[in-house]
Amino acid sequence: MPHHAAPFRKEALSVAELVTHLRTDVSVGLEVLTPEVDLQANQVTESYLHRPGLALAGFVELYTHQRVQILGNTECAYLRSLDATARRDAVQRVLAFPVPCFILTHGNKAPDGLAELMRESGVALLRTPEPTTEFMALVREFLQDQFALQQAVHGALVDVYGTGLLLMGKPGIGKSEVALDLVERGHRLVADDVVIATRREANLLMGSGTDLVQHFMEVRGLGLVDVRAMFGIRAIRFQKRIELVVNMHLWDADEEYTRLGMVQDMYELLGVSLPMVKIPITPGKNITVICEVVAMNHLLRQYGYDPAEVFADRLRERIQQKQGPLPQRAVEYFEHDFE
Amino acid sequence: MVEREVTVTNRAGLHTRPASMIVRRGSQFASDFYIQKDGYEINGKSIIGVMTLAAEQGATLTLLFEGPDEEEAADALEALFADGFGEA
Repeated sequence: MPHHAAPFRKEALSVAELVTHLRTDVSVGLEVLTPEVDLQANQVTESYLHRPGLALAGFVELYTHQRVQILGNTECAYLRSLDATARRDAVQRVLAFPVPCFILTHGNKAPDGLAELMRESGVALLRTPEPTTEFMALVREFLQDQFALQQAVHGALVDVYGTGLLLMGKPGIGKSEVALDLVERGHRLVADDVVIATRREANLLMGSGTDLVQHFMEVRGLGLVDVRAMFGIRAIRFQKRIELVVNMHLWDADEEYTRLGMVQDMYELLGVSLPMVKIPITPGKNITVICEVVAMNHLLRQYGYDPAEVFADRLRERIQQKQGPLPQRAVEYFEHDFE
Repeated sequence: MVEREVTVTNRAGLHTRPASMIVRRGSQFASDFYIQKDGYEINGKSIIGVMTLAAEQGATLTLLFEGPDEEEAADALEALFADGFGEA
């Protein structure tokens, strides 16, 4: 097994970045009620959210203050039910902790004095018109992606018939050439050489290129090629789920290669198991076509058709029928139109 | 596995010319060659990979070698960094 790069993840996200991303990428309305507070200063470090009802009511044991704090209808109604002094005490109790920010949901008006207290503590108060549960789901999904485990993988990621195919193998084996060949045949390049894999869910890996390289690739003997400039928008995409690994390596007589495809090799990446096909490189072998077939086979399997299983069933049936020692001709009678 | 810590000394950092020098030198050895920077790791035999490091002057990198000639490879690459790729 080759050496594995260490996974990494984003440590923190400033509240300013959170606001910008939620507005532009998630299309959520968000207004800042404390414009005096420096949004760069406060950092979000966790993808979980917290509704601080109990903390406001006075129970601060196990208070997850490091999370983004959501003030929904319940929290707002509770604060409004208190008189001015009690409200002040309740808010100051939670502000005694280092909190990244507070977000009022459902367009709730800030209870009297809340914004002033936040401003004094240097904590941002934001407001969204979105209903609490929907908003929390959107923010959670966004933060989960931001803090997801990532890893740089040496390989090429190509969308082949809608399947995210990750080409791997030692430097110089010809990954870029195969990727280029696939692009030439109408498939779409996501990234070459450095693919950043991100674990979106327990079993879902997304792949993209790096912001610096995008769709440039190096082809030995040619130099740098910009696939987007050369082949246009139809030849590229920016993200794709990684679904299959094609591992290219030099032919090794001792290595056992898959012949029928009854047993699926797996490749582990960021804790996700991906089906892997090991392809020995030998003269005269068209790896591009093999990649296309690998992708189509994967699609067939996805839709419940496994060619190896189907053939094995057919063979089993034939054996049970005891039809005789020789295989039958596939055509019983040749009619006159000799093809 | 051999590990070496190196610093980028030339003023322009790891731009295209030093990057191709690293890849060319690294590819002369049979050993696998990886470079790490702040937890991010790439294959040292891939020019695109080395360029994505965008390592500036003063940046510290960790070089990793694994294979039959790992010691020789490590020495050769360390010397290349120490020399500042022949640049000021």
